[in-house]
Amino acid sequence: MPPRFSLPCRSASAYFSKRPGPSVLGRLRGQHVDAGLSSPRRARAAPSPPEAQGVEGEPSISENQLLLSSAQEALATPGLHFTDGHGPLGPTGRGRQTRRMNLYGAIREALGTALGSNPKAVIFGEDVAFGGVFRCSMGLMEEFGKKRVFNTPLSEQGIAGFGIGFASVGATAIAEIQFGDYIFPAFDQLVNEAAKQHYASGGAYPLPGGSLTIRAPIGSVGHGGLYHSQSPEGFFLGAAGLKVVIPRSPIQAKGLLLSAIRDPSPILFLEPKILYRAAVEEVPIDDYTLPLGQMEIVRPGTDLTLISYGLPLYTCLNAITLLHDPPATLMPLLPDKLRPPRPISIQLIDLRMINPLPINSVVEAIKQTGRVVIVHEAGPSGGVGNNLAGELGRRAFEYLEAPIGLVSGWDTPVPLTFERFYQPDVIRVFDKLLETLSY
Amino acid sequence: MLRPIKICIISRHVKVRQPHILSRPLITGPPPNIPPKHYQTPTSTPLPHPTPLDPSFQPDPETGDGKPLYVPGSPAERHASQGRRSSPLRRGMHESWWAKEMGWFNAVAKTIPTFRILDEEGNLVKDGMIPEVCQTHLQLSFTYKIMTLIPVVDNVLYQSQRQGRISFYMQCAGEEAAIVGSAAAMRSGDEMFGQYRESAALLYRGFPLNSLMAQCFGNVEDLGSKGRMMPVHYSAPEVGLHTITSPLATQMPQAAGVAYALKLDENRQGDCVICYFGDGAASEGDFHAALGMNSVLGGPCIWFCRNNGFAISTPIIDQYAGDGIASRGPAYGLDTLRVDGNDALAVLTAVREARRRAVEGQKGVLVEAMTYRVGHHSTSDDSSKYRPVEEVQEWTVVDNPLQRFRAFLVNKEWWSEREENDLLKKNKADVLKAFARAEKLPKPKLGEMFNDVWAVAKGEEVPHVIIEQRAELGRLLKKYGDVWEPWRRERKRYVEEGEDVMDCASRGS
Repeated sequence: MPPRFSLPCRSASAYFSKRPGPSVLGRLRGQHVDAGLSSPRRARAAPSPPEAQGVEGEPSISENQLLLSSAQEALATPGLHFTDGHGPLGPTGRGRQTRRMNLYGAIREALGTALGSNPKAVIFGEDVAFGGVFRCSMGLMEEFGKKRVFNTPLSEQGIAGFGIGFASVGATAIAEIQFGDYIFPAFDQLVNEAAKQHYASGGAYPLPGGSLTIRAPIGSVGHGGLYHSQSPEGFFLGAAGLKVVIPRSPIQAKGLLLSAIRDPSPILFLEPKILYRAAVEEVPIDDYTLPLGQMEIVRPGTDLTLISYGLPLYTCLNAITLLHDPPATLMPLLPDKLRPPRPISIQLIDLRMINPLPINSVVEAIKQTGRVVIVHEAGPSGGVGNNLAGELGRRAFEYLEAPIGLVSGWDTPVPLTFERFYQPDVIRVFDKLLETLSY
Repeated sequence: MLRPIKICIISRHVKVRQPHILSRPLITGPPPNIPPKHYQTPTSTPLPHPTPLDPSFQPDPETGDGKPLYVPGSPAERHASQGRRSSPLRRGMHESWWAKEMGWFNAVAKTIPTFRILDEEGNLVKDGMIPEVCQTHLQLSFTYKIMTLIPVVDNVLYQSQRQGRISFYMQCAGEEAAIVGSAAAMRSGDEMFGQYRESAALLYRGFPLNSLMAQCFGNVEDLGSKGRMMPVHYSAPEVGLHTITSPLATQMPQAAGVAYALKLDENRQGDCVICYFGDGAASEGDFHAALGMNSVLGGPCIWFCRNNGFAISTPIIDQYAGDGIASRGPAYGLDTLRVDGNDALAVLTAVREARRRAVEGQKGVLVEAMTYRVGHHSTSDDSSKYRPVEEVQEWTVVDNPLQRFRAFLVNKEWWSEREENDLLKKNKADVLKAFARAEKLPKPKLGEMFNDVWAVAKGEEVPHVIIEQRAELGRLLKKYGDVWEPWRRERKRYVEEGEDVMDCASRGS
């Protein structure tokens, strides 16, 4: 079994050490004081994180087992396809290079690869010329010129519509919406135009070779409030014709983004913004893709299936760790049958694409476990969780041994001061696991 | 385009001058035969030069009467005075004439001038107007006081964000004259829509420092957003400020709606709306929707553009190719003025006149204030990545709105060095006191997360999803609030430490 499937072996003390390793936010802060991490765009630019709001006491993202820290693991990523047609050993047979990259580095790498391999590809959006507020297009203007990497006037509907038009004549448009929270002016263009263009034109548009990819950062950073922490993916679930992809890590992001850019369907590529700096992996530097529309089982298991995408996957893995090795204070809350050393085997699924849902493979997976918990940051109403739970309930009713659990944000806007209690955090996932396992 | 021709450098210090006002010729731009000077920085990269109406293009002498392209009065008035006749007027809104040749144009007038009263040194420009406001200096010195207060507020909050004490902040450095000058022209019953950089206008309207600090800390005294919104997202109906939200230009059609409501409301005749927005926001569809609706439906509204040269990193050269934002006013039939946004006196005078026109005509008026964003976009931004630091420094020295206005007041003997020193001391003390107070206060009750999501009529119940989700968090807090360390620590920040939510039967406070 490859090491990435091995049980995380963090001890309980990691949760309670008096001086925990630098928190995610603390790390971000340390590395980049004037971080583009936040950019109320406007009020834009997500705010840089204050220490008081760091997630102390929980393991940081960068230490999470989801992230692959060796080249060997990285090259063994399931579904990884190198565009040059050679396998992980490369054309020379001596292997391939990887480089340590964070998520924005991997996105930048994918964008550079896309521009380099396709002369008809362009990148545009607000503030992308100087590198973007999240640094995802850093250096690309210098490398590929102002005609191919450019700022647009400040208009999201303009950006989306421009992209549709650009792609419709056979070119490749890679657009950036600065924050997922600001995607709504583009909603009309995305839902009514991009999603329906192929259908409405009888399959004629976009002309062959045309492709539209819209990137946008999403998710909570702990202090973004109403307009810098939203997860708007649920609004796009009904947009048949539009694909919605959410990567969980740098390796995934590069491969999925390159697949998205080369896919003829319009694609909304939503990047969990807190991972931009925090998630670091060994990323293959060659041109590669990962399959679009396939969920991935990132950890095998037999007792329960935990389903998520993007950032909450890290929370899920932490919750599994917590369940395997709970601190003394939580022990009394565990029912006897769940107390260690009873091995509880939990399967973790990364959906990767939420529209259309990779529903058949998820159904097959949950039939093996009979128990399901879904986790996402957006509120429950109109979200992926209820959408998925409905399908699973219909298709696998007789296999289910417990009600499908959902851990999510609340049906409120994301409130700044209360964000820690809005986000589905490790203890809430832990609690739902207990509830579902002991049902 | 953005920056007027600089002809002298002024000192950083207050100059006490002779009481008589020095005057100098009005700077109107380069003479036509000298090409305009262009600086090699992003903001001053030359814009495409607007082409005035082709000088050879004249109205046909037989059918036209040589009238200017635009004439005062509404089409209805013109129709009443001139009667019905064969004219393009019937096919559009504006005065026009039949022409036998094509007359292409890409500007509605010659390059739009920028109105100013004071030059960079704070002297009145020669033959310039002496505005009515100069008859009493009380308002002017109050305007100046707020202009000097806001940098102190900004400085303290900016630094505190850097130290992690608040989550975010946005300064208005460089734009003090545009913001406070325009606020000073408004009256207490007026409605105000901000973009997010107008906290100085809020202070002018009487919003207390304590409330401002409370919002930035999101503490229990933050009555505006109850801790829900990021810093600088104020909401203060008591001073007419509609809630600041982060999305850009969304406030604009709303302002048009308020203006129309004022127009209909018999009790609010004489009130006016001011809506702030930036050069970047003017690219959003909402900008055009707003001006279009306001111009057709009417209602007193001042569209106040702070053209500060940047939308985060995007310089105006990447934002528009026409003649600024002012050129768009005539497209919607709005009275329009471009004003030197660093000249507080000119802004005040211009917006007063704009307000008069808006209220008397029950219509929209567009004012474009040309200024420069000296500060970073926000605490999340480092502007040295996209513009030279020297350019910023040059602005603070060569065209500093505070120094200009102060020099004028000192010239007039309305302000003295002693008053200046006293004011600076007082500002610092006031701000630090409010800051210290706000920082000590706890966060609101955790239950505020679930309140106000849906507006609930009196006697009605809060929707069940909210009641259930609140109860679910309450159940979890009871179970883990003491035994799960991160939660135990975190809930201490709130008034009642989350106990209010643990009362599951509670329907919100």
